Order: sequence, then structure tokens, then C-alpha cells
Amino acid sequence: MLISKNWLRDFVFLPDAFDALDLARRLSLSTVEVENVTEQSAAFAGLVVGKIMAIESHSDAQKLKVCEVDVGDKTLSIVCGGANLSVGMKVVVAKIGARVRWHGEGESIVLESATIRGVKSFGMICASDEIGLLDRFPKSVANEIIDLSKHKARSGTALSEALGLDDVIFEIDNKSMTNRPDLWSHYGVAREIAALTGKKFKTIKPPMILEGNTIKISVKNGAKDLCSRYMAVAMNDVSPIASPEWLRARLEAIGQRSINAIVDLTNYVMFELGQPLHAFDADKIGNHNGEVALTVRLANAGENFITLDAKKLTLTNTTLAIANDTEILALAGIKGGENSGVDTKTTRVIFEAATFNAGSVRKTSTALGIRTDSSARFEKSLDPHLPAVALRRVVELAQKIWPMATVASIVVDITNFSSTPIIVNLTCSFINERLGVQIEEKKIVNILERLGFAVVRKKDALAVTVPSWRATKDISIKEDIVEEVVRLYGYENIPAEFPLCQIAPAAPNELRNLEREIKEILARECGFTEVYNYSFASSEWLARLGLSTENFLALDNPIAKDRPLLRRDLIPGLLENIEYNAHRFDNVSLFEIGRVYRSDTAGERARQNSGELLPDQPLMLGLAVLEKNNNQPFFILADAIRNIGERLGYFFSFSEMENSLPLFHPGRIAHIMCGEIELGKIAEIHPEKQLKLGIDARVAVAEFSLSALLLLASTPRRYVSIPNFPEVERDIAIIVDKKKSHSEIETIMLGAHSLLQRVELFDIYEDTQIGPDKKSIAYHVTYASDDHTLATAEIDAAQAVILKILTKKCGAMLRGE
Amino acid sequence: MSKDLQKLHNESLVHIATALDLAQLEAVELSLFSRQNGRLTMLMKEIATVLPAEKKAYGESCNTVKEELIGSIAKRREELTNVRWKTIANDERIDPSAPLGTSSSSMTRAQKKNYGSLHPISRVQYDLEDLFTSMGFMVLDGPELESDYYNFEALNIPADHPARDMHDTFYLKNNPSWVMRTHTSPVQVRAMEKYGAPLRAIVPGRCFRNEATDPRHEHTLYQLEGLVIDRGINFAHLKGIIATVAKHLYGGETKVRFLPKFYPFVEPGVRGEVTCFLCHGTGCRVCKNTGWLEIFGAGMMHPNVLRAGKIDPEKYSGLAFGLGLSRLVMLKYAIPDARYALGGDLRFLNQF
Repeated sequence: MLISKNWLRDFVFLPDAFDALDLARRLSLSTVEVENVTEQSAAFAGLVVGKIMAIESHSDAQKLKVCEVDVGDKTLSIVCGGANLSVGMKVVVAKIGARVRWHGEGESIVLESATIRGVKSFGMICASDEIGLLDRFPKSVANEIIDLSKHKARSGTALSEALGLDDVIFEIDNKSMTNRPDLWSHYGVAREIAALTGKKFKTIKPPMILEGNTIKISVKNGAKDLCSRYMAVAMNDVSPIASPEWLRARLEAIGQRSINAIVDLTNYVMFELGQPLHAFDADKIGNHNGEVALTVRLANAGENFITLDAKKLTLTNTTLAIANDTEILALAGIKGGENSGVDTKTTRVIFEAATFNAGSVRKTSTALGIRTDSSARFEKSLDPHLPAVALRRVVELAQKIWPMATVASIVVDITNFSSTPIIVNLTCSFINERLGVQIEEKKIVNILERLGFAVVRKKDALAVTVPSWRATKDISIKEDIVEEVVRLYGYENIPAEFPLCQIAPAAPNELRNLEREIKEILARECGFTEVYNYSFASSEWLARLGLSTENFLALDNPIAKDRPLLRRDLIPGLLENIEYNAHRFDNVSLFEIGRVYRSDTAGERARQNSGELLPDQPLMLGLAVLEKNNNQPFFILADAIRNIGERLGYFFSFSEMENSLPLFHPGRIAHIMCGEIELGKIAEIHPEKQLKLGIDARVAVAEFSLSALLLLASTPRRYVSIPNFPEVERDIAIIVDKKKSHSEIETIMLGAHSLLQRVELFDIYEDTQIGPDKKSIAYHVTYASDDHTLATAEIDAAQAVILKILTKKCGAMLRGE
Repeated sequence: MSKDLQKLHNESLVHIATALDLAQLEAVELSLFSRQNGRLTMLMKEIATVLPAEKKAYGESCNTVKEELIGSIAKRREELTNVRWKTIANDERIDPSAPLGTSSSSMTRAQKKNYGSLHPISRVQYDLEDLFTSMGFMVLDGPELESDYYNFEALNIPADHPARDMHDTFYLKNNPSWVMRTHTSPVQVRAMEKYGAPLRAIVPGRCFRNEATDPRHEHTLYQLEGLVIDRGINFAHLKGIIATVAKHLYGGETKVRFLPKFYPFVEPGVRGEVTCFLCHGTGCRVCKNTGWLEIFGAGMMHPNVLRAGKIDPEKYSGLAFGLGLSRLVMLKYAIPDARYALGGDLRFLNQF
């Protein structure tokens, strides 16, 4: 919202030596965020009013003249090609150093003295488009300069002063005052400034309306809950002329385009007082008797309506509307209709000033996608006392614009609100306890009274009456009063202290701890890079991966239209990262820990004690790796996962998995097991898919749920005794069926002999000589005893036992046999 | 001693003494003691031709010479070896500024270890988690896909409240009462329901705002929320905690100021600004010449929010604050574009 200093001055004293930045700072520190301060005059620096004293022709150019121009302190010689130059004419002179735009085109430049066809020129006589005033001084011919002869300003007067362009415009962040309906106007901001600065606030008191009787108006309120006040009055002999200068200048200063005097007038009162008004053309909405019978009612479902700007709408039965007997004339508090609006022929209007329900206006304007200055104010909850002032003000100003205009009706005023003010009872100690300071009662009372609250002291307590403009939603409880006090007392005057608390340690968040430990292990030990990916998935990418989008939750209003889905897995995102980085890096090893969203399992409650459950949102760990020149990246991930298990006390293993997805390599995919629990999967990407994605090396991925892992018990770390007697290492190499897994063989060996301490796989070998379905597999086997040094014979015997068991349990043959 | 032996003895001592390196010395050693044709070996074999009466003396003198020569060789070997150590500084000099995996190193490029990295948001988040846990705060989390109730209603933002304008919200298809949480604040009420009062907790986490992305805006962002509920919690406490965080982040000289700001779930509500860490308040590009950076949203918890969490606002009061982790990270590392955080580019991620 833009606020004009000159307009504020109607209601609060602002000194001439006025520091706009200081005021902006005070407003920001105590009330609302001032985002910008613009001094209008800054754009007109170096431009002054001048008077042409003499004109001579240019010796070397027919169209140019050499003018002697009085600029107050001296006379300047200026070469000018203006068509309408005359002696005695008042003009705009740009002095050396002013900013102008040559012929109204391009960027503005700083004016320098120049020699034009041999004649020196010490400035410029300006056309309106050269100084950004074309709207105000339209040109009838191309080289016409601004004629200020009608202005009273003397030579040398700054142009900004002469034209009243000395305003300062404050831009206030709308979002910072959603709770302050009273601030959506110059009147309200002025009242706040008066409270902040301790200056007197000039209450507006427009005269009572002298009612007329040429137009009969009646209003029926058919939606009392949604309309707490409806006022209307008719006026004769108005017309949509161009607005007078004062009206137009004020609206333009705050960025509003002037339309015609009737529309501008209603807008003016809105920006002045914060009360949106509407003007109906009385001749369009009357019945056959010329009487105007208005009804405030909800639209019927399916009822049609065309807005002022010709937008066709079909309404629902929650839309609050103003109607006559035959049709809807306006969307209450939002926008008028084509059928009832002011046009070029309008001579009689009905001004409406009403109070509509904030929620209703917001709901309708959101649903219809129509946000107006009016709806923005209504949805903040307006003071129902305001329409009376606004209606008087609009009549007052109408008679200033159209001296012949008269009030043509009675003032209709239908009310459905309580005038009983809100009184908040509290103590000074409550305020001080909440703030952690000691502010004396006198000061508290003074602050509240400056802000328009009435305070009655009763013993220790204060009874604080909330002014009507703050009472609609903004202030109703003790805490609200605390805020009023502290923002004027000054946040900077509150000390910084620590609360005194019991030192009971905080309950740990096990899932967070697990997540953090795993991140540290993967990044610090395994050399993986952590990525964060979006929660939103692309259907197109999933399709390229050959993954179904069934069961995916979807956004109703995605911002990235190609990413409407909520991810169910981390792998697709990680593959996007791999694809993105693979051409730049030889090694890409990534992980992500993040939530996924699954509607087919239930998560947390949507509210306490409700049966409605949100989708499950487990925390997942995803891994992906690519290494140029490594054709089995599977084992890199398997090793990293084993390392996580080793650090955290979980035993992870990998067991064969049936795969039906074309994304994965059918021969390189496994369940990630923690004990007997299937935790997730690990796989290589199918090389065909990988090549189609444009990735030139094998890729492995893995994913499992940390939420699920957390439910499993980890094995606490224990010391294992260091052997007292030497260990002996032997090798065992056997030939088994190709399908026999290492883990199977390992398990058999570990249980085969008491002297066997551990085994280590060191070679797997396949060859046609061994047999097409066979493989050779070789282990280092370590033997030891905890009470004696082993003899060769003992070890030989153990080896024999183990081999025998291997032969029996998995058909192993000793290599070379 | 025979003449031959005497000659061999004298010559050999000269050879040993003049051997310039270990290889020459070894050659001398071999020329003396080689089994096939060592000169001393040959002389010793001649004992067979010596008269029986002289055999003993011949053998003894041979052994004496042999031992002496062995001793000399050993001594010379030690000398030569020590000479090698004297020049090693020059012989085996490396360029300490060269990286691992260059030609003189034993490790090839392919064997080089991959060093991993944590995401910058994780790093800043953990830094703050550690600060808060040291002050006895719990670290909590909640659903990212949240109910309208916890995201808005329980936080004193009813339907059709204009404050919803401040939250550009992603809604879920076919379920209008589900949203992608717009802030971490829904966990306030979940935490109160679960733990009651007193309560000290922070909530770092992912949030969503339905707004177009550009260098300064990202629809997926990280916040860190904090709350303290106890008897007698007041505004000065809020200031104390915020000042502590600011000093932790930006150093002990950092100042904090509060400005009024409306959030429906706090009353009073403020935004907290800190003196710019770059210019220390004099004004620069980072703080847009204001000298201040807006870091926090904060306030005293609204009694309606306490009530929603089943906590009696007459007995307890609470403070709450939130800060944009994503923004903090951008400021800390001078990252110019908000979109890098979730862009998955290793050239970015490997820097942390």
C-alpha cells in the first residue's frame, strides 16, 4: 500500500523539516514494515520554473531559437526548438545537472552545457515527455514545450514545488498489516503516527447529510450474519467528468489511475478512510416506478453475473451479493456489475457504504480469483462504525466536485452489530510479567491512551476499552494489550535474559540421531556426497525409468507442472542426480536421507483423537554410485551398507531377490536384510536402461527405511579377547554350483569346526574347464585355540572335517580333485 | 706369510678403502671370496700343495688375512652406507606442493580416496542442533505432508483468514484438508500434545511454499523452529535466546533488534533482525544498505495455540521463534542462488 505524506498532513501535524526516513523507521520499529520511501521531488531535481525574456533566431538553424530565460537568480541563454515559444511565457527549465530524457526517449541522462550549431546553450526548455509529465501535460504537436504561464509560481521556483510534486510516498508491506484493518488508509496511518510521535490527531468530521426525497431507496438485509451494516444514499446532478486537479493528484501520487470523477471519488474516500464504497447508477437499478429496492442476499447457485470489467461469472450459493428485484448488481465488497455501474451518461448515483463479513468476502474473492482494493480491506474485518463517516465524507466531497449536486434520498442505514465496546481487564503486573520488565502504570496508561484506548484504573487492575477501529478482530485479549504496550514502549528497552528451567535432560530423538550418524559415516568414512532432492516427482522421468505412477499422491496445485507427484522412493531422484553429473565426474557416489509419502500405509493422526490418518512418511536412506571403469558398482554400495551396520551394531546381509521391474539388472539385485527383516533393496540399473538414460557406466542404487531400521534392536559393541596363542591361516578352495552363495558357504564353514575363527573370501573364478554351472571359490581360513598353540596335525584334521561338511551340505569338491 | 698372500692382503686393503660405492665394494668382496675364482679362495685351496710342516702356519696366516679383510669390508660397507644417508635429502627430494596421484607418488589417480561431504543445510542444521541441545532442547520432527488442522487451524489461522496469504500453500489432490506444511510450526502443537509442559524443543525441517523459483525463492525450503513453554516465560527470555543464537552464528559483537510483525500464532509477534555480519551494521550489498538482516520470526505463543496443545495459558506461557535455515546457509556461504540447494550439482555439493 502506498501512503502519501501530503495526504497524511490532513490528519496529523508533520513538521516542514520533516525527515521521511526517520518516520519510516519509527513506523517499522513500532507498527508496520515500511519497505520503501520515495521522495517525489528527487526525480525533478534541477528543474525550475523559468520565464522567457527574449527570443532571437538562431543564425545557423531555421527551426531553433535562442531564448533568454529568467530562472530567478540569473538569466540563462538556451537554444530551443519548441514550436510554441513566446516572450513572457513561463516554461520548465532544466538546469545543467538535471536529469532529462532527450525527446522523451531512452534512459534519462544528466544535462550538460552544449554548443548547438555554434551557439552555446546553458540548459534546456523542456517538453512534457522529456521530464516524465506527459500524462499531466499532453502534447498536441511533437515539439511542443510545457506552458506554465497559468501557474502563479515565480521564476526560479523548483518545479516539484510549483506543481505540488513535493510529496513523499511510503510503501507499506501489505502482509505486515493483515491484522490491522484500521491501517489500510491515510486516516488510520495518520492516527498511528500521531500515537507514535505524540502529536495531535485531527479527527475527521464531515457534515451531516441533508437528506433529499427525489429518489426512493429501500434496502432489505437478507443475510444479516454476513452484512452487519448497509448504508446508502442517492445523489443527483453528478457526472463522470475528468477529476479536478486535487483529486487526481492525490490518487496519482499513490499509484492510482484517474478514471472519472465519480469513480475517483469513491476510491479517494476508500484510500482516505479505509472504507470501500460503491457507486451504482441510480437510473440503471431502479424499478419501473423509479424506486430503488436493494437486497443484500446470497446468490442462488448457478446465478449469472457480469462484472464491471465484463467478466462472466456463475455464482454459488455462498456468494454474498447486492441485488434488486430482478438481478444481482454487485458482488458484496468485491466488485460491481456491468448492469449497474457508472458510465459516461450517469447523472444520478447511489453511494453504498457497508460492512460485509470478512470471511465471506475472502472466500468469494479467493474462489472467483477476484482480488480488489475493496476485498483486501473487507477481508481484514472492518469497523462497522466507519460507513457512517465515509458516507458523509463522500457527500461532502461530491458537493465540492459538483457544486450543483444534491442529495436525492434519505440515508438508508440498516445495522446488525453491537455497539458495546470490548473491554479487556488486566493488571500491570501481567503486562510486566509477560515482558520481563517493570513499566510503571502511568506509562502503560499513557501508551494505551495515545493509541485511542480508554483506560479505567481500578485498584491494581486496568479496564481497557478497545477503540472500535481496533475491536473487529485485532484486539480482544490481554496478550493483545501487552503487544500494544511493548511496541510503543520500545522492543529495544526489553532486556535479554535466559529463562530459569529445570535441568532435566531433553529426551533424545532416536530417529534424528540415527539419521545424523549415518550421514556422518557415509560422508566421512565412505566418501559419499549428500544430496537433497525435491519431494516432488516428475511423471515423465518415472516413465523413462519404466516405473509406474500408481499409488502416487499428487499435488492439487503444483508449481512445476512437470512435477505434480509426491515421491514414494528416493531412487528416481538419485538417478536424476547421477544422470546430471555423470558426464563431468569419473566417480559419483551420492546419498540422500529424506521422507517419502505413501498413501497406502497410514501415518500420523490428522488431529488429536481423530480417526483420520495422514499418509505414512517414512524416513528413507537412498544411495547411488557410478564409477567409470568399475563394472560391478553393486559391491561399493554393499560395502558402504555393511560399514553402516558395523558402526551402528546392525548386521546387514544381502539375499537374492526376484525382480520384475525393467529398471533393475535381473542378475544384480538383492534384498537388504537386517537379521530376518527385509529392509530394502540394492541393485544395479539394467545396462540397457542405463544406456538409454545416456549414462556411460554401470550404476548401483540402494534404498532402505531408517524408520524401519530404528525399530530393530542393535547389538551393543563388546570387547572380543585378543588371542593368547598364535593364529594359523590356511586356504580352502572348492568347486560348487554357480548358484551357491558365498554367505551360504560362509555360514556352513563358520559352524563346521570349533577351532575355526573366521573365513575370508578371496577369489571367485568361473571357467568352462570347471564346468558351465560351476564356480571355484577360495577362502582364507583362520584357526586358533584359546588354550594352546595348534599343532599341524590338529589343523589338518580340522581342514578335513570342514571339507567333508562342505561336500555333504553343498556338494563341494576340492579344487584339483 | 707367503709373498702372494702378503701381496693380496696389501692390494685388497687398498681396493676396499678406495671402493666408491656399495657396488664396487661388493665387486671387491666377490673377487676375493668367490667360491669358483676368488683370489683368497684360490690361495686357500693351495694349502694342498704346501709342505705338511708348513700347513698349519699357512692355514693360520690365510685365516688371519681373511678375517682382517672381512672386517675391513664390513667397516667400509658401513662407511659407504652412511654416506648414502648423508645425501638422501637430495637424492629423494619431493615437491611437497604436488598433489597426491602425480608421477612421483606411489598412488595412482584411480586409487585416490573419494572424500565425501555433508549438504550445507545439514551442516548448519547440526551446528544449531548442537547449540540448542546444549541448552536442553529436544530436537523434534513431524510430518511434511500435514493436515490443514495442524498447519493452520491449531495455530490460530482459521479458514478464510487473510493470514493464509502469507503462506502460498501446496494442497493435495482429492484431499483438501491435507497440505505440504508451509512452516515447521505445526510441530508446536504436536509436541505440546505429546510432551505437555514444560517443554523446550527445536524443530528443524523441510517446508514448502507454492511460489515460483528464482535466485531468491525456492518452493522447498528449510526452517528451524523453537519453543520454550514453562511458568513465567517472558519476552525478555525470547530476546535472550534469540541473542544467543545470533551471537553463535555471527560472533559475540552481533546485535539483535525486534520489529513488530504479525503472525497469528504469537502475541506479541516480532521479526528479529541482526546486525549484518559482513558490514557490522554500516550497510552493504548483503543487507541492502540497512545494516540489518532479517533472520527470525518470533513472539510469545498465542493463548489459543497453547490451548490447542492442551496447555493452560493461565498457568503457562511460551515463546516461539523460527528461522530460515536455507536463508542462513545462503548468507553463511555467500551462495547467490537459492536453487543450488536442491539442484543436485556435485560442483556445488562437493564444496562443503
